[in-house]
Amino acid sequence: MYKRSGFFVIAVALTLSNFSLAQDDSTSDADELKITALEALISAPPERALPIVTKVLKGTHSDDVKESALFILSQIDTPEAHALLLDTAQQSSGDLQVEAIQMVGISGDKKTLAALKDIYVSGNEDVREAVIEAYLIAGDSQAIYEIAIAAESDDDFEDAVEMLAAMGAMEELRGLLDSRGPSEGLVDAYIIAHDFETLHKMALDGSKLDVQVQAIEGLGIVGDQRANEALLEIYRDATNEDVKEAAMDGMFIAEYDEGLLLLYRESQNPAEKRELLEYLTMMDSDEVWALIDEALENR
Amino acid sequence: MNDDTLTLYYYNDGLSESERQRVANALATDASVAKRYQALCRDLEGLVDADIGAPPADMVQRWHEGLDRAAGIETQAAPRPAVHSWSFMLGVAVTAALAVGVGIGVIISGSEQTVVPVMEELIVSSPEARGSSAFIRGLQVHLRESEQGLSTLPANTESDRALLILNIIEQNRMFERAAEQNDSESLARVLRAFELVLVRLAADDITPEEAEELRAKLLFEFNVVLTKLTRNTSDEQQSI
Repeated sequence: MYKRSGFFVIAVALTLSNFSLAQDDSTSDADELKITALEALISAPPERALPIVTKVLKGTHSDDVKESALFILSQIDTPEAHALLLDTAQQSSGDLQVEAIQMVGISGDKKTLAALKDIYVSGNEDVREAVIEAYLIAGDSQAIYEIAIAAESDDDFEDAVEMLAAMGAMEELRGLLDSRGPSEGLVDAYIIAHDFETLHKMALDGSKLDVQVQAIEGLGIVGDQRANEALLEIYRDATNEDVKEAAMDGMFIAEYDEGLLLLYRESQNPAEKRELLEYLTMMDSDEVWALIDEALENR
Repeated sequence: MNDDTLTLYYYNDGLSESERQRVANALATDASVAKRYQALCRDLEGLVDADIGAPPADMVQRWHEGLDRAAGIETQAAPRPAVHSWSFMLGVAVTAALAVGVGIGVIISGSEQTVVPVMEELIVSSPEARGSSAFIRGLQVHLRESEQGLSTLPANTESDRALLILNIIEQNRMFERAAEQNDSESLARVLRAFELVLVRLAADDITPEEAEELRAKLLFEFNVVLTKLTRNTSDEQQSI
């Protein structure tokens, strides 16, 4: 049974500690006392805790104290608590606003989470980042996908893509390729996810050379047999030197010296053979000494 | 379908029901996947057959201690480890189990077989069982150990600090996954939020003041969650 005196102590701690705000040291001590008092609130029934948390958030306490109160608030699963959390996320600014937004993610209330979209649109960079993190915390990949689709800047798009990659949200990431076209951020995401099929598709897409080169190298990071075969095929079909070099880089990354050796033996072009030999030397391939010997013997 | 997924399928660990179904479909319909899986099975079976030597006695003792603590039978009298011996006992046990084959159940061979709890044992199916589950007890141990580790952070060097935090993140992810599989979505959300703060704390470009703020924030939040878990299991009263 919770004792009324416990609440009294908490309330007194939160209320009376304002008297000791004259000096920095005492401010810190006072905050520590308030934060300890807030910690105890987790043991209280929601109907008792919420008024105290509300009072703290509406009062003149430091951001540290209010941020602690926000975490307690995130643990109260009532409509009133969700409303107060959203109100703080909308009305506050700076670090406190960022914290309130993330706490909406922890609370996980769908209605409150949906309201973060408006905050994202009107917010600055920190706020937008906080909203995406809140969706990450809530495990809401669909909301981040919608942000990416509607992103007005490349940076916002890449931030959303990065978060989807961290969540392993492959379906959404593939959807973004169809709707927004290739981008470096998407390549990174597919590399993280070891998504061979999509990387291969991008490696064959010459609409953006930089992205294509990155995707080809990404196949090297995937590094399985399918990726190795794809790199060989890309090299053989390439008409662009950058693409050829990316395929060699990919094979180097994948430590696929058999592929480079095959290309070396196929090539009739001395300059190309020299370049392939350089890669094989860098890879310390077992075959490289025999190749050097062959080259010196002009065989 | 990569080898990691097939390995998890082999050990019946870490894949959701739909993911397992997807693998099963691929094995049934794609000959190349089936062939790779067969090769993988041979390799993994070879690992089990291999002569895995008995671990050193002191290591086994540490695992036992970790398991005891995870099972909630630690005693107040037990001495706390010193700063550098802080080692995530439960994590060591589970990681050791993972290293030689998650899901096998009986893993480490010694003079007598020692049962190491694996991921499945952190996962309970019924919400009613949650309050007393290995998952909750393990999470409590994780939070307490993390608190202890964070409390000693300033005494560590930069690299020790990063390593320590990365260890916490690794454990945190394991419990986040277990929370998801236990349908404890609220706990999974809190653990995801912890990870974001831990990642910031591990960064080498933050000032000591910022690090201290993040550390204090985590300690507060760990304490709150620990108190909540304890309250929820005691059933003494209605609380948040």
